[in-house]
This record gives sequence, structure tokens and C-alpha cells, in this order.
Amino acid sequence: MENFDLLLHGFSIALSVQHIALMVGGVLLGILVGVLPGLGAPNGVSLLLPITFGMQPVAAIILLSSIYWGALFGGSVTSILFNIPGEPSSVATTFDGYPMARSGRPTQALATAFGSAAFGALVGVVLITCLASWIAGVALQFGPAEYFAVYFLAFSSFIGVGGAPPIKTLVSLAIGFALAAVGMDTVSGSVRLTMGIDELVKGVNFVVAVMGLFGIGELLIAVEEEMDAKAVSSRIDWREVLRTIAGLPRHWMALLRSAAIGCWMGITPGGPTAASFMSYGIAKRLSPRRARFGQGEPEGIVAPETADHAAGTSALLPMLSLGIPGSATAAVMMGGLMIWGLNPGPALFTEQPDFVWGLIASMYLGNIVAVVLVMLTVPIFAALMRLPFFVIAPLIFIVCVVGAYSVSNSYLDVLLMMGFGVLGYLFKKLDYPLAPLVLAIVIGDKAEDAFRQSMLMSQGSLKIFVANPLVSTLVGLGFALLLVPPLLRAIGSWRRSSRREP
Amino acid sequence: MLSRRALETLTAAITGAFGVAVVVSSLDNGIGWSSGGVESGTFPFMTGLIVVAGSLYNLVRGWLRGQEIAVRSAELRRTVALFLPAAAFVAAIPLVGMYVASAGYLLVSLHLQNRLPLWRSALIAVVAAAALYLVFERTFEVALPHGLLGAMLEP
Amino acid sequence: MSRTLKLAAALAAAVAFATPVFAWTPTKSIEFVATAGPGGGTDNFARAVQAAIVKNKLIDQPIVVTNKAGGSGAEGYTYVKGMAGDPYKLVFGTSNAWQQPMVSKVAFKQTDFTPVAAMVQDEFLLWVKQDGPKDVKEYLAAMAAKNGAGKMGGAQSKDTDELLTRMIEKTANLKLIYIPFKSGAEAAVQLAGGHVDSHVNNPSESVGQWKGGTQRPLCVFNTQRLSDGPKVTATEGWHDIPTCQEAGLAIPLFQQPRTIWLPLKVTPEQVAFYVDLMKKVQATPEWKDYIEKSSQSQVFLTGDAFAKYMAEDSERVRKVAAEQGWLVGN
Repeated sequence: MENFDLLLHGFSIALSVQHIALMVGGVLLGILVGVLPGLGAPNGVSLLLPITFGMQPVAAIILLSSIYWGALFGGSVTSILFNIPGEPSSVATTFDGYPMARSGRPTQALATAFGSAAFGALVGVVLITCLASWIAGVALQFGPAEYFAVYFLAFSSFIGVGGAPPIKTLVSLAIGFALAAVGMDTVSGSVRLTMGIDELVKGVNFVVAVMGLFGIGELLIAVEEEMDAKAVSSRIDWREVLRTIAGLPRHWMALLRSAAIGCWMGITPGGPTAASFMSYGIAKRLSPRRARFGQGEPEGIVAPETADHAAGTSALLPMLSLGIPGSATAAVMMGGLMIWGLNPGPALFTEQPDFVWGLIASMYLGNIVAVVLVMLTVPIFAALMRLPFFVIAPLIFIVCVVGAYSVSNSYLDVLLMMGFGVLGYLFKKLDYPLAPLVLAIVIGDKAEDAFRQSMLMSQGSLKIFVANPLVSTLVGLGFALLLVPPLLRAIGSWRRSSRREP
Repeated sequence: MLSRRALETLTAAITGAFGVAVVVSSLDNGIGWSSGGVESGTFPFMTGLIVVAGSLYNLVRGWLRGQEIAVRSAELRRTVALFLPAAAFVAAIPLVGMYVASAGYLLVSLHLQNRLPLWRSALIAVVAAAALYLVFERTFEVALPHGLLGAMLEP
Repeated sequence: MSRTLKLAAALAAAVAFATPVFAWTPTKSIEFVATAGPGGGTDNFARAVQAAIVKNKLIDQPIVVTNKAGGSGAEGYTYVKGMAGDPYKLVFGTSNAWQQPMVSKVAFKQTDFTPVAAMVQDEFLLWVKQDGPKDVKEYLAAMAAKNGAGKMGGAQSKDTDELLTRMIEKTANLKLIYIPFKSGAEAAVQLAGGHVDSHVNNPSESVGQWKGGTQRPLCVFNTQRLSDGPKVTATEGWHDIPTCQEAGLAIPLFQQPRTIWLPLKVTPEQVAFYVDLMKKVQATPEWKDYIEKSSQSQVFLTGDAFAKYMAEDSERVRKVAAEQGWLVGN
């Protein structure tokens, strides 16, 4: 095990008092920016980047990656407590996390999320440690057609698991696609669907859309249902945190499956968002407790959180070995690498082993530090739920407005968010599902780009989607997930009716 | 009081109007196949058509089936009481800036609407605005809008 | 003279001694708006300038770099355009400041900004996969043999990469399929995986891949070879790469300037301050390091020289864009 020796060497670099102090500082800052919607890990990293210019590269990357871990954890807090996902990848966490917190179990919801997130992240790092060189090779197999197939798979594994009316699902999905297309189009370089508003050339930001649809929409629903009548009484209870963590292994099946999905989507270009949706969708199909999904089922939190963090972690590998950042934060770090005088790319592993293995070792340590710190904050965050609704509601409004504004310093975004809030309220009231819309906003334009790039390559022939075993398998799986459940249902009802007939 | 029929109609009208706007606007970009591959209006055009068709279906269906009451008067009053001050808050931002607007909004909604004692409402309002200033303006150097008021106060 | 005035005068004198005299100096934090996503060439440029200023304490105000990459950078330009009169917003871009308004319906024109300077010329090279054609002649023959199905990857559509691709087509009299990706880094990975046949990345976008042995440059679009430096791979450095002209592809010079702009309605003193600041940046070791690491060429165009350069470049772009039918009526 050559990698194992290198990892031990990495630990000897990463384990120092100064580095651990940097980790703690970075994680705390990360949790702060993660919790505040509109701010995110890129803000924290960007802010500290100038300070790191004078540091050793290893110390610098440890500080920055700790912000990343902290923010990943912090992002789930608002999703669970207030139904406001701060990052695309924590949308799926709201589906069961928020109902669970609302029903008086915020501590359990947060601890479940953090515990499974830490598990996912660790699986991701172990994977990187063992299979670094192999993974880099896999990522190279992905051309535009394969990208499209991965996005298609993510869509088909998620669409159709809800019980929403099909036409309403379709409308919601199509609106999401249209919103994703707003702004500059990569493939043609032309500006689309700005409806005469010049500022829309930048596109409709995801955070703006979800804060309106989920955060504001939920507030309007909540006040209507007189949420203040049943203010959640949650005691600050540290034992509850420990009990929840101890109970996590019961969901071993969901943990393992979601970690596998997450790692796969992190290595291939699917990314954390697609991973968390896909994992939730698949859990909802396979779990023995699927009937209770959407009402605060722990497995509904375990599945997206584990996959999100497994994907987020394993996505750092393509960044190091290929120079393609898997996320905005990774991209800022990559800019940092260049300023520190390191070139990301296949040669990094051989040229800078100290740096690379120091970083990988710090991923283990950083995640452990992050999960410990974040668990300590659980009762504090859970206590927020005890504030009366009429105090919390205007505060959430302000946080959403500030968040929407700070995404790109734009008042237009605030107005858009309010519009999305009203739409979210109407949709929720009338059983239009929101998740397909959100999924389409996040990966719709990527899927469209990949499709059109494929069409350019094949000069218009659809055969490119069955041109090699990899892409045909992915497309085949996608169709299977899309078509098999309705077919089974149809056969089932046909059987029942034919049995009744004679 | 709002009937389900009214809500369904309203929503279908909103989505339908959006769909029509998407269809019309994507025609400008060109649909179909050109030397540059699939033209940039093609996908938005298709999604727009789906939205329009789906909205028509939902409109008819909602009209036929939506007899029951969706929002009772008391519920509606609570929702409006939450939303109107918030909308006023957003409208006030370009005038008085984010800090003054959010403090004012908290004061109105806590003290006037929910009868929290004045000193406690004022305390929450001032602390919230100060926290915003410290976190965004000072720590992360994200300048929140200062509004016309801020422009007048600046030297 | 009142006491406060005397004090003020004394303070002003002290300040004047400490720093060179400027009619204007910044008194609060400055925002650098990069019209590219994090990690992109323009982002690295903005952060390199930031690093040089911060490390050498050239000014005592903090600098924040923000990324406004939406609409291929149009977001950043539109944002700063709306900041007329604010000398604390600088937008960092490329030639897209005047090229983008020609080919797409964006809400800004080059004349919406006050030019500060062009500080770098980034180079373009023709890259193929490691086991691809061994030189330019072989590459052109292979592309011609593909009969219009040879694939060129690149960053964005109707931007410099596609412009250069169309010039190659015309010069070598062949047809290529141009496939736009989001960034040069993405195009590089696509080439490493063999999904495209070539791309025309800047040196910094592909140097990691060259070192790693997944792709290599065939020629550089310049009138002379790049300057001599340390070897990149075991056997070759940038200086060993022939110019495209000597290798048999007659495109003499194709470069991309990296530019800095202020909004309109700033005072000449404010512009002078930044011009001087950028000159100082170019003298720092951090800057030299950045130029060397990214294998770009240092220039300093400002004032009339910059205006002349823009006019010439616009003319050239307009010609190609007109032939391709890209021009929009802005």
C-alpha cells in the first residue's frame, strides 16, 4: 500500500498545533457563512485568500478547506430549521429535515444530518486515498454525451417518486427548465429569455429562487396554519445528540447506498446537488420505510446528506488531478493554488506529494474537527426553534431579503425572490411539487448544454447516446428508472382487475 | 375567503402567462437546427409549449373540481398581515436602505402587530440591524444598500 | 487660521511627505470585479494584482475580489457600468469589453467605461492529445482527412477561441466543428479524454495537463517564440514550441489582452492614481512571478496607445464576425 505510507506522511505534516488551530478557526467561520443564506463558502474563502498569500501552501489549503467543511455542515442548519436551503445541495435535506424539526425534534434532525454527513465525507476521503489515480482516469471518460446521460439519470431517478399530480409535476419541471435557460447561452453565445430586463443576462440565481419558493413560501403557509399555536418546545439536551448518533448505524443500508451514490456522482461530473436528489429519490423507491418519507423520516435525511458530502468530498479529487473544480469554493481554492505557485493537474501528485497528501490528511482531520464543533452547536441552533413564531417570521424575512441581495448585490434579485415566494405559496397550496422545479433550475442548463454539445459532435445524430458501453449503460439505467415503476403499477392494476373479472 | 377554484385559476393563469412569454421570447433566438447545431431558442420554446399546454389542462381541471374553500377568511387575514408589511419593507429598501428598513419593519411587526412591549421590540430591531451591519458590511465586506437616505447622509 | 485648520495643514504635510503626492487617494475598500468565474484567467489576473498590492502594501485600503461571471462576463460589466462616478469599483476583463457587444445583445458598450490599462497579453497555442498528430502539418492533414468532422474545443461561443478557430479554418482552407465549453480548463479535460481533437488554450489553462503528459502544444500564435524559461516537461519548455507561422499555419499574431476599467464619470486624478498603482504592481516580484508562471507577455497600454490598440483589434474582429454572420445591431 504505497498510498497508505504517503497518507501517514501526510498526517505527519497536517498534525501540528498551528494546523489544528487553523482548522478550528476555518470550520467556525465556515459554519457562520454556511448558516447565513446568500453568504457561502466562496465568500469565506475569498475573504481569507489574501491572508493566505503569506502562508505555507499546506497551512493555507488547510485553512481554506476547513471553511469548506464548516460551510457544508452549516448549510444544512437553515434547511432543517427554517426550510431555507442555503446551497443547492441541501435542498433535498429539507424534504424530511424540516418536517422533523417542525414536529418538535430539531435536535434529532440536526444530529442525524450532521452524523450522516460526516459518514459520507469520510467515505469520500477514504475513496480518494485508495483510488486516487484510478478515479482521475474515470473522470476523463466523460464527454458531453456522457455528461448528458448522467444528468438524465439524476432526473429520472428523482422524477416520479412523489405522489403529485403528473401534469402539475410536468409544468413545474418545465418552468424550472425555462428559468435555467434565462441569460447568456454557452453554446450559441446569445442572450435568452431576458424579457427586456438587461440585468437578467446573469441568469436566475438558484439561491434567490429557493429562498423564495421554500423559505418565504413556507412562511406564508405556516402563518396560515397558525404555527404560533404550536410553538415547538425543544429542550437543550446534549444526550439527545449522543442518542441520535448512537442510533445512526440502524440506517446502515441507507448510509452505504447513499455514500456509494455520492462518491459515484462526485467522481463523474454529476456533483453534490444531483447526488443528493438522486439518493433521496432512490431511497424513496427502495427503503422499507418509504411510506413515511416526507413526514420527518430519519432515512429521508440520511440519504441526501450522506450523498451530498460524499460527492462534495470526492469532487475535490478531479480538481487536484485534472484542474476542473467541482464547486465554486473548489474554484476559489484553485485560484489560490496558482497564486501559491502550484499548478493543478495530473502532475501535482508527483511534483507536490507533501502538499497533496497533507491536504488529504487534513480532509480526515478537518471533517472530524468540523463534525465535533457542529455537534456542539446543535442545541444552540435547536433553541432558535423556541422563539415565538411572530418574532422568528420577520427575522426570516429579513435574512432572506439580505441573502437574496448579497448573492450579487442586486435589488432585482430581492424582487424576484418575493415573486418566487408567492409562487411557492400557491404551488404548495395546490399540490404542485417544488422539487422538480428546483432540480431543473440547478442542472437544467448543464443538461441542455451537454445535449447540444453532443449534437454538435455527432452532427445531429442521436446515435451518440449509444455510441459506447458507458453512455449506453447510463442512458439505459435512466430509462429503466423512468419507465419501470409506472409499468409495474400498470401491470399490477391490470392483474388486480383481471383477477376480479372471472 | 378564497375558493380552490379561484386559486387554481390564478396559478394556472400565472404559469400560462409565463409559458406564453417564454414561447414568444424564444422565437427571437431561433428554433430548429442551424450550422451552429441546435438553435438556442429550441429548448426554451419546447418547455414554454409544455408550460402553456399544462396550464390549460390545470385551468380546466381546477375549474371543474375546485368547489371547496381553500383559504378561510381568518387564514387569509393572517397571511396578508404577514406579507404586506414584508412587501412594504422590501419597497422601502431603495429609499431608506437595508438597515433602517429592517429595523423599522421589525418594530412595526413586533410592536404594532403583535403587541410586544415597545422597549423589547426596539431592542430586537436595533440589535438585528447592528448585527447585519457587523456581519455583512464589516466582516464580509458585502455592502448592503444604503438607499437614498444613505446617499444624503454621505458627505 | 484656526487651530483645527493648522492641525489639518500639518497633517496634510505629513501625509504628503510619507507618500508621493496624489490629487486623490482611496479612503475605503476597493472592489475588483472579475468578469470570470473563480479560477478563470481573468479571475487569476485580478487576484494576482490584488496579491501584489496587498503583499507590498502599495495602498493601505483593503481590496475585495468579487466574481461576476454571468453572461460570459456581461454581468460584471453591466454591474460596473451602473456605478458611474464610483472610483472604488474596478472591472477586470479581456478584449471582451469591446468584442462581446459586437456579437451578442448585451447591455453595455466599451464606451460605458473609463479605460485604465491593459497589463498582460495572454498567448494562444494549438494543443493536441499526447498521442495526437506530431506537428502542425500532420494535424492539418488529419483534420482535412476528417472532411469537416474534426473537432475543436474552446471556451465560450463567438469569443476569442472561436474567432481563432474560424481564422484557422480560413487560413488552412478546411472545416472544423467548434464545440463551446464553459471554460478552457473544461476544454483541456475534454481533450485529455479524447472527446475533441484539439483546442487553442492559453498556456496557464493547459500547463498542468502538459506536465502530466495528457496533451502537448504544437505551435504558438505569435511572431516569435515564447521567452526561454525552465523546462515544463522533462525535455521541452515553452521556448521549444515553434511559432505557427514557422510550423506551416500562417496566422502571425493572436493574443488576448487583460484589461482594467473604471466606470464613467470618474475624475482624471482618480484614473491617474490607478494607472500609477498598476505601474507599481508591474514592478513587484509577485507580479513577475505571475507573468512567468502563467507564461503571458507583460505589456502596459494606457491612454492613447490603449485606444489605438482597441480600434485596431475591433476592426479585425469585426471583419471575421461579419464573415461569420455574428454581428448584432448594437
